[in-house]
Formats: sequence, C-alpha cells, structure tokens
Amino acid sequence: MKLKIKLPNSLLTLAVSLVSCLFLLQTSTLYAQDSTGVAKERTAPVKAKPVKNTFDGTWIIDDQTVIVPVKGTFQMDIMHRFGTVGNGYQDLDGIFAPANIRLGINYAPINNLYIGLGFSKDDMLWDGNAKYAIIRQTKGTYPVSVTYYGDLAYDTQFDPDHSLFPHTTDRLMSFNEIIIARKFNDRFSLQVAPTLSHQNAVKGFYTKNDSTGTTVFQDMRHDQFGIAVAGRYKISETTSIIIDYDQPITKEPTNNPHPNLAFGFEFTTSGHTFQIFMGNYQLLNPEHDSFFNANNPFSYTDANGTKVKGGQFCVGFNISRLWNF
Amino acid sequence: MKRKVILVSSVLAVCAMSFAFTTIQQPKPWPVPEKNAKMANPVKSNAESISAGKALWNQHCSSCHGKKGLGDGSKAAQLKTTPQDMTLAACQSQSDGALFYKISEGRDDMPSFKKKIPEAEDIWNLVNFVRTLKK
Repeated sequence: MKLKIKLPNSLLTLAVSLVSCLFLLQTSTLYAQDSTGVAKERTAPVKAKPVKNTFDGTWIIDDQTVIVPVKGTFQMDIMHRFGTVGNGYQDLDGIFAPANIRLGINYAPINNLYIGLGFSKDDMLWDGNAKYAIIRQTKGTYPVSVTYYGDLAYDTQFDPDHSLFPHTTDRLMSFNEIIIARKFNDRFSLQVAPTLSHQNAVKGFYTKNDSTGTTVFQDMRHDQFGIAVAGRYKISETTSIIIDYDQPITKEPTNNPHPNLAFGFEFTTSGHTFQIFMGNYQLLNPEHDSFFNANNPFSYTDANGTKVKGGQFCVGFNISRLWNF
Repeated sequence: MKRKVILVSSVLAVCAMSFAFTTIQQPKPWPVPEKNAKMANPVKSNAESISAGKALWNQHCSSCHGKKGLGDGSKAAQLKTTPQDMTLAACQSQSDGALFYKISEGRDDMPSFKKKIPEAEDIWNLVNFVRTLKK
C-alpha cells in the first residue's frame, strides 16, 4: 500500500519560498564576492589632503598665522622690538634705544592644538595662549583654513600701593580671533582675522557726583574690535616677503589706538624661522597692542587738532626654534 | 751637489710621510634592513611630487647636502661626517626604500626626519626629488 502524504497547499508554498530564498541568498553572495574582486582591480579614488605650509611659521610679524604645527612640536620664541626710528645716529634709529623683549614657548600636545606661555619685558607681562585649527584648506572640500587663537595676559608690574590695579583681576586682559587663510599657490598666501580684545579695568573720572546721582566718564572701552590682514610672498624656497596690517575698529573716547603696518623678510630653515621687519606695534602682546599702540604709520590729526607726522616705525625681529618630540 | 741630494731627499721624505699619514675618509657602511630596502615607492614620480620634494629638500636638506646634492651645503664643513655626493652611483644605486629608511631614521650627523616630516608621502616625494639629482 502506497503511503500518501497530503500536505496543505499553504505549507507547500512556504517550503518552496524558503528554498527559493536560500538560492537567492546564495546567488547574492556570489555577486558580492564578484563585486569585491572588481573593486580591488579598480584604482581607489585619491583622497585630497589639506594643503601644507600656508605660512612658514606660527607668527607673521605681530600676528599669529593660521598654522598649527604637528603634534609633538615644541617651539621657543625670542622676539625683539627696538625703539622708534627718527633719532638718527643718536640711538642708531632706535636700534640702541630701550627695546621690548618677549620670550615664549609653545607645544602641540595633540593634533590641531598649540598651547603656549610667554613673558614680555614691558609691564612684566605674562601671557598664556591657545590655538586650534578648526578647518584646513583642502582641494574640493574647504577653500580656506580656519583657526581660533586666544590669549590671556597678566600684567605683573610693581604696584605696592594698588594705585594702578586696585583689584587683582584689573591686571588681566584677553584677546580672541578667528583666522581665515588661503594659500593661493606655492608662493602666495593671505589671511584675514577679525579680533576682539578685552580689558578688565579702564580709567575714568566722575563728571557728576552729587545728590542727584553720579556719571562716570571712561577714557577707554572695555572691548576693542579690530581686523588683521597678513600676507606672504615667497621669493625663494626659504625666503619670503611678509606684510601685516592691523586696523582698530572700535573708536575709543580718548587714547584711540593707532593701526599697525609692518613689512619685512622671513627666512626659514629646517628648525628655525627668522623674521626681520619694520612695524608700528611695540608691545609684543596682541591685546596690549590693540588697545595701547601709540605709533602710527600714517600722518593724522590728534584730539587737540594738531597734525602729527606718521612713520613711527620700529625695527624688530622674531626668531622661532622648533623641535619635534 | 751633496746639499742638493740632501734637499731633494728631504722633500721626497716629507712627501712620502704626508701620504703615509693621510687617511681618506671612507663612508661608514649604513646597513638598511632588507624589509625596508625592498619597500616599494607608492608615490609616482611626477612634476607635483618632485616639486613637493624639492621644497622639502631646500628647507631640510640643502644646508648640509647642498642645493644640487653635491655635499657642499653651508653647514657641511662643520659636520663630523662628510655628506656624500648624492649625484653619484653610490647614492643613486640604492633602492627607494633604502633612501626612505635613511631619511626617516637618520644616523650620527644626519637627523631623523620621521617626526619633522610626519607624512610618509612627503618622504617619498623627497626620494623622488633625490632621483632628479642623478648626473
């Protein structure tokens, strides 16, 4: 007797479907292997890398460049600003006049971050700074590089009777900027940086102080906006012409700061960057220069209506020594 | 006559002694591990690569090795090791991998560049430029 197995139609359909699925999956796997083989034969698309050496160092005269060195870089800076030109042989056009000096160190503990510490002679000024590369110019992705730079300065000049600084926080000033740069070709790079400087304390006096109330006149504002533009043109692999311009934007009630125009040469070696130039900034600190620069490249009329001749330049140099750990 | 003989003999003796005490500085052998020497150059030598290599050469190498690789850079005289003429076969016969290894690792007066030039592609660009120094 022949055994008859009667399966319901639905179960039969399910079994056929499952077997079909297995075949389909198997076929798909075969296709997948095949496509991998093809991918290996094809050349992988070349991923564009960020441009290098937009500038040759972290400084461009008085301003920071967009550059953040590679992780493990240690830098030591020696910076000099001599006296203003104009006295001729008397002080060799400022070279033998009292000079301002800054000594600084920086280190890159991780990629894209640079932290540093500096000490300047004028006002016995300590400064701590940090720089972070946000965007790096990459062909087809980013047309510019963008870096943040911040600096906090602490004035340690002697003030035993607290006449200059009634509170400790009055000694603090800060500086923040966003640097936007583009390397146009191997020779020419340009950067622009909106800046914001802040001083914790400003001098003032009462213009009204009676029973009806008090009014205080502040001789300066707490915040100063500015803009910095800098460029480099390489005339050989290791020598460049550099130029730097800083324009204060906020109008101060008194002691309005002057712009800075600086120009010179940069020489680069494997472990050094050396810059020699003429410029108007003398204070070797961005927030102090933004608020208190008294040298003007251009002729101007002062608050009393007196015409003042410009050209108040001083010679300066920056030396940076780099080590890689 | 006797005096002339003595004079000529003395000059010859001094010449002989000077030759005897002259040592010609032979380059110290610089063995490269086989694995490194056989490493293939992944960067194609083209105008872009050579230009990038030339920029690195001028910044990092030319002060000792000279602009054209003749070993006559401005710092060469101060070194304990005389930089070799890189235009000659002694350098050019080495594999790309061997040059890459020597640039990366350094030895004695020759500094290591693996931290100063952190991207391998840049060191290969430098190797490609070194090939253009061949006479």
